[in-house]
Amino acid sequence: MSNKLIDFINISKSYGTQTVLDDLNLYIRENEFLTLLGPSGCGKTTTLRILGGFETPDCGQVIFDGEDITNLPPNKRQLNTVFQKYALFTHMTIAENIAFGLKIKKKSKQYIYDKIKYALKLVNLDGYENRMPDSLSGGQQQRIAIARAIVNEPKVLLLDEPLGALDLKLRQDMQYELIRLKNELGITFIYVTHDQEEALTMSDTIVVMNQGYIQQIGTPERIYNEPENAFVADFIGESNIIPSLMLKDRLVKILGVPFACVDEGFGQNKPVDVVIRPEDICLRKPGEGSIDGVVTHLIFKGVHYEMEVRANEYDWLVHSTKMFPIGTQVSIHVDPFDIQIMKKPESEDEEAVNIEE
Amino acid sequence: MIKKYLEKIYLFLIFILLYAPILTLIVLSFNNSKTRAKWGGFTLKWYSSLFQNEQIMNALYTTLIISLLAAVIATVIGTAAAIAIHGMKQKWRTLYSGLTNIPMMNAEIVMGVSLMLLFIAFHVTLGFGTILIAHITFNIPYVILSVAPKLRQTSRRTYEAALDLGASPLYAFFKVTFPDILPGVLSGFMLAFTMSLDDFVITHFTKGPGVDTLSTKIYSEVRKGIKPEMYALSTLLFVTVLVLLILVNVSPKKDAETAAARKHVRRRSRAGRILIKRVIPVAICLVFVGGGIYYASKGQMLTKEKLIVYNWGEYMDPDVITLFEEETGIDVVYEEFETNEIMYPKISSGAIAYDLVCPSDYMIQRMRENDLLAEINFDNIPNIKNIGKDYLERSKEFDPENKYSVPYCWGTVGILYNKTMVDEPIDSWSVLWDEKYKDNILMQDSVRDAFGVPLKYLGYSLNSTDLDELNEAKDLLTRQKPLVQAYVIDQVRDKMIGNEAAIGVIYSGEAIYTQQENPNLEYVIPKEGSNLWIDSWVIPKNAEHKENAEQFINFLCRPDIALMNFEYITYSTPNTAARELIEAESIRNSKIAFPDLSTVPNLETFQYLGTKNDEVYNELWNKVKSK
Amino acid sequence: MKNKRYLAGPYLFWSISFVVIPLLVVFYYAMTNDEGSITFANLAQITTQENLKALGMSLLLSFVSTAICLLLAYPLAMILSSKNVNQSSFIVLIFILPMWMNFLLRTMAWQTLLEKNGVINSILSFVHLPALEIINTPGAIILGMVYNFLPFMVLPIYNVLIKIDRDVINAARDLGASSSYTFLKIILPLSIPGIISGITMVFVPALTTFVISDLLGGGKILLIGNVIEQSFKQNSNWHVGSGLSMVLMVFIIASMALVAKYDKEGEGSSF
Repeated sequence: MSNKLIDFINISKSYGTQTVLDDLNLYIRENEFLTLLGPSGCGKTTTLRILGGFETPDCGQVIFDGEDITNLPPNKRQLNTVFQKYALFTHMTIAENIAFGLKIKKKSKQYIYDKIKYALKLVNLDGYENRMPDSLSGGQQQRIAIARAIVNEPKVLLLDEPLGALDLKLRQDMQYELIRLKNELGITFIYVTHDQEEALTMSDTIVVMNQGYIQQIGTPERIYNEPENAFVADFIGESNIIPSLMLKDRLVKILGVPFACVDEGFGQNKPVDVVIRPEDICLRKPGEGSIDGVVTHLIFKGVHYEMEVRANEYDWLVHSTKMFPIGTQVSIHVDPFDIQIMKKPESEDEEAVNIEE
Repeated sequence: MIKKYLEKIYLFLIFILLYAPILTLIVLSFNNSKTRAKWGGFTLKWYSSLFQNEQIMNALYTTLIISLLAAVIATVIGTAAAIAIHGMKQKWRTLYSGLTNIPMMNAEIVMGVSLMLLFIAFHVTLGFGTILIAHITFNIPYVILSVAPKLRQTSRRTYEAALDLGASPLYAFFKVTFPDILPGVLSGFMLAFTMSLDDFVITHFTKGPGVDTLSTKIYSEVRKGIKPEMYALSTLLFVTVLVLLILVNVSPKKDAETAAARKHVRRRSRAGRILIKRVIPVAICLVFVGGGIYYASKGQMLTKEKLIVYNWGEYMDPDVITLFEEETGIDVVYEEFETNEIMYPKISSGAIAYDLVCPSDYMIQRMRENDLLAEINFDNIPNIKNIGKDYLERSKEFDPENKYSVPYCWGTVGILYNKTMVDEPIDSWSVLWDEKYKDNILMQDSVRDAFGVPLKYLGYSLNSTDLDELNEAKDLLTRQKPLVQAYVIDQVRDKMIGNEAAIGVIYSGEAIYTQQENPNLEYVIPKEGSNLWIDSWVIPKNAEHKENAEQFINFLCRPDIALMNFEYITYSTPNTAARELIEAESIRNSKIAFPDLSTVPNLETFQYLGTKNDEVYNELWNKVKSK
Repeated sequence: MKNKRYLAGPYLFWSISFVVIPLLVVFYYAMTNDEGSITFANLAQITTQENLKALGMSLLLSFVSTAICLLLAYPLAMILSSKNVNQSSFIVLIFILPMWMNFLLRTMAWQTLLEKNGVINSILSFVHLPALEIINTPGAIILGMVYNFLPFMVLPIYNVLIKIDRDVINAARDLGASSSYTFLKIILPLSIPGIISGITMVFVPALTTFVISDLLGGGKILLIGNVIEQSFKQNSNWHVGSGLSMVLMVFIIASMALVAKYDKEGEGSSF
């Protein structure tokens, strides 16, 4: 990927006594689809608003294209925002909404007309020029908000939970729409959401945040498969997080039973957290796996069955396409590369696993 | 940041604009001088005398009771209506919101007038009830507008959930919906109460005689000068509410460290807040209402013998009434009017049976000619002997046989001037047209008094009905208008005392008081002549307590009583026996108080000129005023 | 719950009895004379020179004071809405609290403040500024109107402003609008309902007042309200008074129509 387009350097922000961002450092590359993911109150929206220019950080710098824009007002920044509740101008028609930014830039009438046509086509709403925003559905309004932003040809499009107010089906459609748009426009998208599935679906890079700190930065696959701490593991997908003891490289004692794993470098006899995704657990006949247990809950989920297995005084969450009725004696098997070892959190802040959602 | 700074300054200036008058009134309540034009030092006496002033306390009681009743009834009707409207279809809702908007948007004066005409058309006696109805009418929209937004916020689902859980509709409403809209209901009530409390215009039109709210009481006092007790009362009300609001709004700050502690504090502060938000306000309301009822019951204990007196504002020492009540056991209902013209229709309509009225000369003539007066039985008034013969003689101009009236006060109209602001001695009306005194002249704001000045100046009769003469007078008044600072009635007094103007047309009675307060003032009867007026007691034909009225007249003619009144109102008394009792020689022989009638030329008494001529006068006066 | 509708019954009855019928009574008086026959003479009274003058003066003063109110109130509402003040405490401070000091007294207090030797002029002369001579002039009446009716302008504008989503303003800024452009194109148009509502809430009482001109005009300025008041309270000429009231109703109805057009949601008037 190409060079850094945006660089947050040592950004801190607090409201009153509440610290929202604490010494945040983050860079964003050109043409990237980057998602800020975290529970509400984690600081992701504040980060976005600082970039948009709606908030000023208490300290730190925001560099855009090599230029310090920390104190630049929003109207002087080469980026546009799609707001959570669309923020359409209700007293203007759709066309006037879309033309708003272009008129300020004093573009010609013809140019504006063409742009409106193009943008409405792009968001599949041709012919809506003279409608008023109130007469549109939520999804349509959202697409107008996007159209209004992209006609200005920003280098970066900021999206603040733009799909939050839409229902599930519409949300999924819009996700594909956004990916298509991003590819067609070839610009940087910075996307804020608390929905992990949305983040995994669309992003090139995910930044997981909690309580003002960045917890992990990485591709969706990395974030999912190799969460760096219990918070990330718990927030992204479902998982079994078990406090364990790293006996030595490639060997970890989970619930008193040694398991082979692939991780190294944690030292000897060090307490660690182990993450095992429910779909990575293989249920076998008693005695054939590492730990024996009994199925205590069973729910049909469509693509798979969700089960809870009581083994060594721990309720293991297991996803499997095979059904084991309640009361079945089973044995748990996990392949070594499916065991993810995480450092124990050192500070209280990092620990913060309580998700408010 | 400069912007923040500017914002602060702006807020501060607006705050000053809104609260400067209030601060002024609070300061005035501590002013040890009866007129607001002068600072007479700090005092608390108005606060103590306030509670002895039955008129003010009665007005307060009436105001609070009307406000409370109107607010409660309006809250009930309005809340019910808001709930009903909320459940209606769009079409009906629009209709109702139109209906709600009429009283909100309509001019107060039109609403007041319309209600007054309604009550009169349906022969409803104007009084407490009509005020209450009017107040409820303008209060309901405020309640609806406060409750409606809360209803829009409440989800219908919770109500349905309650029904689903087995609640009856009524139970569900009171347990689920009502608590949600309660803040709206309360603020609607609060708003309605305050609106009622502060209303003047609508009360002004729908009130009947005998009922006064604080507003109407103040309005009737405005011309004469507000009683300082009124400032004290307003200050008390204001400060009470201010303290209440501070109590309600300042809840304990939460600075707790841990969540548990915070929860604990919150619970404790809630108990505190209930105490502050509910108990104290309720307690204060109870004190108000209780006090009101106490004063009302005190007023109604002696209802067996009654006397309804209708007098000029500030025209009798309140102690005189108390004395009379003590001596005779007769309960005096005392009411005030501002001008003869305001008094007349009330008597002629006969809506209330006044027992004793104190009009001026020409108005007595008019009432007599229109057969509104009863002959006085002078056997009941032996004290008539104290009234000087001269005055009875003068009275014959409007009461040829001295059958209908007993002189109470008399005086002249003249010029009061400030020696420090006027260079030459003044002896002529002509000074009122002198450009030198532009914006320093005060004129009387009533038709006959205003026209009297130019008529006399021109050498015509005060009672001229000659159109040419009147037009000439009108032209003079029009020419004078740019020079006039203000047309006022009794405020000439305050303004002259406060050095607000150099020259004022004034009644001789006021001149004595103003001279006491400001020794630079001098009173003169211009050489062209002037008006000599007599205010006398008359008994309307429909009086229900004629004998009590005669007893009261007799009482007023007693030298000691007449003296009390003279010292209180400083208007010349026709009671020669009382004059003898005046201690200060300077006053007893004052040229102002008791001019030698034979030496002043061209003193004339007003006469009633008939409806047609009245209209001519009014029309010409309107022309002057609207120039 | 169908029977809920009957809860509006008392209100409907009340409104018809004490709002609608009284207006019809005024109308009846306006259209008849003493003998009870139909006439337009009462309405025509407005065309006499004095009454036209009074009406003209009322219109002028109420226009000016409405304009001043708007100019003062808008920045005030902007500042207050940006400050996140608790709405109810704001209403209390600006509306309710002053009302506990009687309206007549408050207005009268301006006399004390404005008089030649009044408080304001004492302060001005203390700092060697020229004296303010507006007592008993139209200026004083305008001041009285602004003072009394300013809250009625602030509240509706404030109510509309706090409802504007911060993000709508942010969106405009984001799309390149300067703060003044944002104000002109976004904030101002969105606050029109509040402005219209505020204008009528100030204009109607200012147009029809008789108390303020009475107290601060020194009896030199006759407004249409004074004419009507006198025709009822002093001259007992109810027919003419009703006729003039009907003429005033034209202005009031025009205002109501204006509000109905621009403030459909009733945003401006909710307390």
